[in-house]
Amino acid sequence: MANTDLMDHFDLSFVPEREDPFKDLLLKMREKFGLDHVAYAGFNPISGTTHGHVTYDDEWTRHYAKKGFFKVDPTLNEARRSVAPVDWSRLEHNKNFTAVFRDAHDFGITDTGMTIPIRGPFGDMGGLSVNSRLSQPEWRKLKQHIITDLQQVAANVHDLVMQSNPLMRALSAPHLSTREVEILQWTAAGKSQQDIGDILSISHRTVEVHLRSSRKKLQALTTVQAVGRAIALGLVYPG
Amino acid sequence: MILVIDALNKHKFPEIMREMFELRARVFGDRMGWDVTIKDGMERDKFDDMDPSYAVGLNDEGQVVSCVRALQTTGPHMLADVFSAILNGEPPLRSATLWESTRFCVDTKRLARGKGRSSVSYATCELMIASLEAAKEAGVTDIVTVIDPLMDRILKRSGNTPYGYVGKQADMGKVPALAALLDCTEERIARIRAFADIHHDVFIAEDEIVAAENYQPAAQPVDASERVIDLKGYCAEQIDAATTDHERGAALALQQVLFDKFHSTRACNA
Repeated sequence: MANTDLMDHFDLSFVPEREDPFKDLLLKMREKFGLDHVAYAGFNPISGTTHGHVTYDDEWTRHYAKKGFFKVDPTLNEARRSVAPVDWSRLEHNKNFTAVFRDAHDFGITDTGMTIPIRGPFGDMGGLSVNSRLSQPEWRKLKQHIITDLQQVAANVHDLVMQSNPLMRALSAPHLSTREVEILQWTAAGKSQQDIGDILSISHRTVEVHLRSSRKKLQALTTVQAVGRAIALGLVYPG
Repeated sequence: MILVIDALNKHKFPEIMREMFELRARVFGDRMGWDVTIKDGMERDKFDDMDPSYAVGLNDEGQVVSCVRALQTTGPHMLADVFSAILNGEPPLRSATLWESTRFCVDTKRLARGKGRSSVSYATCELMIASLEAAKEAGVTDIVTVIDPLMDRILKRSGNTPYGYVGKQADMGKVPALAALLDCTEERIARIRAFADIHHDVFIAEDEIVAAENYQPAAQPVDASERVIDLKGYCAEQIDAATTDHERGAALALQQVLFDKFHSTRACNA
């Protein structure tokens, strides 16, 4: 995937925004997961825009923009091309990493962290970077504990940011499979995952993986929320 | 041993990548007769251009004996596109904690039968363990894997029975393909490890492979005459350092022994 052309947009978006609704979301994540900072950067290929939202203070954000770090920062540019989350220890031999985090250190920002890459169906992509001031062993423990939740939240933030674009929102109408609708319909009727598995002669984990996919498609954090949205969209009848 | 290759480190392993695409050409093109594109003896598709993550099995000689490819189901992947026949044209599962695994294969020609370290069974299990552990480490809880019925049987008898399937079996070439679901849990990994009797860390660090690829036999042992020169210096030091006649006599005797041994005036021509 070409990266350099995408990243040229970053200089505009990293100018601190006023009244950033996404910043609140990132601040909540920071608190919930016990992190130092949370930063999201994403590219929308349909509108050709790049979006950045961070919990860093304006001083660092301005310095970062002024130095043009968005063009070289490997926690953005390289890590985003990975499939698995990239722990920054993997980047420590990268000279650009050293350059960015030498300055970051002066702003009290640590180089212990990871970037979770996110890919969307339309060629949209993003990265959620988180960092921490814990020691390496403590950081590894925390990471293992929160990584599954962070994966889901990262995808959620990405979808929300992407769909602030009307065309992207229109394209992203949830495409649920027959099986997903069927399982949501039984859930709306009050059946448990185990019941639904028995009814459909599939394992309860198969039911669970379909529900998880439905939640993702409907941008719901909980199954109850997903059922509500599916009803609102006319995909499912109220139980 | 399994090496994980992705967009961040693939430039370090051009030879391994080439061998991997050649293995895929032999398995999916020649043996299974899938409708795949083979160029210069390598099987590649558009998903290989989308920075997937590969787990590649290497034998003790460093040759590629197995491989598999992972992509996020939130982005473009095979079930959403070329394998849509399996899903009957229905939209695919999408989740940040569900990866798709495709192109799982082992080199049946290079590997032996039975259960030893160089067997098909061992290589298969080692790669399955690596796939599940790499996904688990990434916070991914489930894998949807596109396989043929033979692979489905192999999964079942290696302690890796799918907990479910999505869609239906669809024709892909000489053999049909289907999409199976696997949970990335300790229990499943432990079952495969017990079946294959694999208890060690299956991953190899990329630095070790890079070191091995760049390995060159050490320079020839130093020339015999240089060693003699070292001895000459040693003899001279011992003679100089002697503080008594006894020590000096012993040092001179050593020098004489070495001189006789090397039959060379260059040895210790004090």
